[in-house]
Amino acid sequence: MYMKKIQRWLLLLSLLPLAAAAQQRDTLPPTPAEEEDFSEYENLGFADEAAKRYCNPKILDLSPNRFVSLGWDWQLPYQAEFSPLGAFEDGESPSPAETADFRSSQGLRLSANIPVISRNSFVWQMGANFWNINYGGKVQTENQNAARLADRLLSRGLRTAGINTTIFKPLGEKQFLLLQGAADLNGDYTLADFQSLQYLRYSGAVIWGKRPHDRLQWGVGLARTYRVGELNYLPVVLYNWTAPNRKWGTEILFPARAHVRRTFNPRSLLLAGYELEGQSYRINNLSDEDQSLEIRRGELRARLEYQRQLGGFIWMALQVGYRYNYSFNADYLPNDGQEFFRGFFGDQRYAMLNTLTNALYVNLSVNLVSP
Amino acid sequence: MKKFTLLTLLALFFATFLSAQSESDQLIGVWEPSNGKARVKIEKIADKYYGKIVWLREPIDPVTNAPKVDKNNPDESMRAVPLKGYRMLKDFVFKGSGEWADGTIYDPENGSTYSCVIKLKDDNTLDIRGYVGVKALGRTDVWKRLGAKK
Repeated sequence: MYMKKIQRWLLLLSLLPLAAAAQQRDTLPPTPAEEEDFSEYENLGFADEAAKRYCNPKILDLSPNRFVSLGWDWQLPYQAEFSPLGAFEDGESPSPAETADFRSSQGLRLSANIPVISRNSFVWQMGANFWNINYGGKVQTENQNAARLADRLLSRGLRTAGINTTIFKPLGEKQFLLLQGAADLNGDYTLADFQSLQYLRYSGAVIWGKRPHDRLQWGVGLARTYRVGELNYLPVVLYNWTAPNRKWGTEILFPARAHVRRTFNPRSLLLAGYELEGQSYRINNLSDEDQSLEIRRGELRARLEYQRQLGGFIWMALQVGYRYNYSFNADYLPNDGQEFFRGFFGDQRYAMLNTLTNALYVNLSVNLVSP
Repeated sequence: MKKFTLLTLLALFFATFLSAQSESDQLIGVWEPSNGKARVKIEKIADKYYGKIVWLREPIDPVTNAPKVDKNNPDESMRAVPLKGYRMLKDFVFKGSGEWADGTIYDPENGSTYSCVIKLKDDNTLDIRGYVGVKALGRTDVWKRLGAKK
């Protein structure tokens, strides 16, 4: 109930700046009538000799940055099997204690990013996001060992609320540093039963890069991420490129996402590729022993995304793709919220091993884009 | 005595007027946006300020091998207009305290026009803020004044 009210308010708030966005009318024609000799402007230099040039954070024809994004995400029907609570090695196949047919999982996705400082020599942006996943369907079978996770998902769903920051620091005309950080509160909480901030999960990335020209920027770095469901540290590669004919390009932040871009015109484009999406979600007091768990949700979304301008600075984006489940396993979560690092090679046992079949998905959003 | 007072008042009036005039005209000149891809000459027409592109780092379109035109303009009739000479800053009015507002900035890279406010940070530096609806939703670009090479 409270969550629906919040969603309604967030929707209204997000539409306010959209309503304010309007293009201005011209008064003079764009080009003067008189001929001018432009050669006199060729041999000029900075009036202030100490002035410097810095590399730009963007390259030509990248898909537009979003100030405000209001979207809805639907996963079509799929099945899930949940193990009983226990201590399972990765790769084991315990008999399911409950199975569920999910008719859909869907929810609101709202995000906002506001520039705090935007200068040639330093760009700092702050953002916030709220994602909601509501599960619809029914529990098919359940035995006495079931942890009743499916029931919990159906009754309460999952949500993510967080803040993030991005800093772009040019190191001269060709090199730059990119720093990203985020703090997210993920779980089955509601406004009436809110989750303590001690369960915040922190992620971030540091990238050093080069921007040789207006159509290419690349970089390498390190990320602390939950995109595969649980905490991991991964090397990252940035590669944004636009072809000389400006019809094709790439938008890659590997391994988080990688897309090929086809630009039809400055007002419409198509992206084809994938994104890894995931988080660790606290499930509060699930079992009879009031044991809290942390679901390690990680999925790969192979997709096509069509973006087009609706008018002015308002764009829409439609994603259609296939959601491949990488992980929906769960770990025991201590009351103090402390987590552990398993990585790809750790042998810590899971509290639950769960499997989801894969599903088609659709995501539609309306976005207020940045200059 | 009366004549002296009147002359003093007139002198003060003209001094104030000329000072305001001089401050508002500090915007006039040739400026370079942060990306260094263009040079923009800001001039005064009637009582408003306009900025036109007078230099391009890459004046030739690599696809057509012809001088660049405003091919991204949403108005099809404008797509053959040369970028050199194009008025990308329009209708700025001096508001005092080193600020010019009520104008627009056009981005030929994507054909979008944004609301814009210009602030003079020092004699040779402008903060050009293009925004969408409200100033908070915008991006500031720092432009540097150009002059004859020393």
